Amino acid sequence: MNHSPSLARIPRSRKLEVVLPFLVGLLFLTAWHLTVKASGSDIFPTPYAVLGGLAELARQGLLLKYIVASLYRVSWGFGMAVLVGVPLGLVLGWFRPAFAALNPFIQILRPISPIAWIPVAILWFGVKDTAPIFLIFLASVFPIAVSSMSAVQNMQQVYLRAAQNFGLEGGSLFRRVILPAALPQIITGIRIALGVAWLVVVAAEMIAVNSGLGYLIIDARNAGKRYDLVVAGMVMIGLIGLLLDLLVRRLERFDEVRWGYGQR
Amino acid sequence: MSRSILLWASAWLALITGLHGGLNLDWFRERAERQSADAREFGVGFLPVTCHLTCPVTDFINRNTGGNGFFQPMRFSGFPELKEMFLGRPKDMPASFILAPMAIALREQGVKIKIVYLGHRDGSALMVHKDSGIHVPADLRGRTIAVPGRYANQRLIIYRELKKIGMTLSDVKIVEMPPPDMPAALFSRAVDAITSGEPFMGQTELDGYGRVLWQAKDVWPGFISCVLAVHEDAIRDHRAEIQALVNGIARSGKWVDQSLEHRLDAAEFVAKGYYNQDPRLLRFVLSKPPDRVTYSRLTPLRADFEEIQRLAREAGILAGTVNFEDYVDDSFAAEANAQPALNFEVKR
Repeated sequence: MNHSPSLARIPRSRKLEVVLPFLVGLLFLTAWHLTVKASGSDIFPTPYAVLGGLAELARQGLLLKYIVASLYRVSWGFGMAVLVGVPLGLVLGWFRPAFAALNPFIQILRPISPIAWIPVAILWFGVKDTAPIFLIFLASVFPIAVSSMSAVQNMQQVYLRAAQNFGLEGGSLFRRVILPAALPQIITGIRIALGVAWLVVVAAEMIAVNSGLGYLIIDARNAGKRYDLVVAGMVMIGLIGLLLDLLVRRLERFDEVRWGYGQR
Repeated sequence: MSRSILLWASAWLALITGLHGGLNLDWFRERAERQSADAREFGVGFLPVTCHLTCPVTDFINRNTGGNGFFQPMRFSGFPELKEMFLGRPKDMPASFILAPMAIALREQGVKIKIVYLGHRDGSALMVHKDSGIHVPADLRGRTIAVPGRYANQRLIIYRELKKIGMTLSDVKIVEMPPPDMPAALFSRAVDAITSGEPFMGQTELDGYGRVLWQAKDVWPGFISCVLAVHEDAIRDHRAEIQALVNGIARSGKWVDQSLEHRLDAAEFVAKGYYNQDPRLLRFVLSKPPDRVTYSRLTPLRADFEEIQRLAREAGILAGTVNFEDYVDDSFAAEANAQPALNFEVKR
């Protein structure tokens, strides 16, 4: 992929790419530590106290349990969102009447925060895993559907005409031209949606489930002065979010996806 | 590509589901153990506050004496979620500890809810920052006070105390805040005063920045914040089970009030096994002083509720469209009160 001109002027250096973020992180942690110390607060934790909180959770075996619980809910909620969102978006992008009928409805549902859905989710699903999975599904299905839809709508007409000249139609036109051409934008949508899905895990686990990183934060608030655990939950959510993003980025390396980037 | 992604995705879903089932849902426990757990289907909602303490105490002692508990304590973090579960899934959770005015308000709105027993007496306080200039209730004029919610009885104590000195609720600024967030709000002086059930008030005292302006037990003796409420369908269809639950609450309440030792034991096993709090906190609020919150005299009495209803109507919280008979079913109380305290000692 092309870099913007200003970035391209500076030669890439592997060493810098490792050292710079490390330095920024160190600076951030030092500033955090000094600010807490200077404020004299014994409520907000220092980075060291947070590390202690993480170690305590790991010793009790809770850290693994909670990470697994959150990943489980996000995997199912997000997985179902992909299964529903991508086909829905493709259909809406291709068939004008379907778009005309459903798009306004989707645009109304889309801006509603998953937090607003919490009461409804409890009324419908109770407080088992289904309710948070439903919330994560809701949060991620719309970005996926909308990006798939606009991917088909914005496809270059030249691809279509060329394909039709070669006599492609129906299923093979879809499989060999439309889908590959739309794929990069769909993947971008999926990447954003995975970020959103992971983002709402805290809100989703506010419901009375008794495991998960979001639950860890809510539970630590109930536990009195355990803000080290609150921040530990935040740190874990951040780190796992980074890993998830790196993982989805790998999807962009597949040949089929690179084909679609060719036009840029 | 699509086949390999599908394969990876399926493998991941299978792996994470299996791990979740094993680590969090006890899927792979011995079948016999699981069956006994399944028998405890009947859920009772509670929050990690001392007003709801008898719920975990009953469960813990039952499991440690008779083998299995006969109900499933379901812990929530806030009243809205607890109320939604009670409204939406009364079959899964037919009984719950809930704020008394909230139960009455639900009845006014047509919900088939009955108060069958009290959860506690007293056990609430209004805390101010130790360095604040607030020393008597009159000093609250113009100050911001955090309460747990619209239907919290703590709001009524404020109303009642202000009324005594010729002030009204409009002389103070009331904000709603979940009790777990209150200590930090007082510490950072985001609000001038906080009031809710324990242990969140005791926590500010224990950590050295909170000062008691009033204890509920001193200004409104026998103060009731939370009650045990049951769905009418469950009273109709499962009377025996509800009676057993009320008996259990009564017996464990008496057990807690029997001695300081029992209070400290309860603090230990409830904090560790149910509330996930530092036991130091519950030990403090259950023992200093020991009558900060009490668990005897739990029959719902007409005079208490009519006072709550009158104050709530004056304060504009309740409409006053229902009567004591509509929202209270005290037919379980007599048998429960006749029960002896639970016979249980923690093994040392």
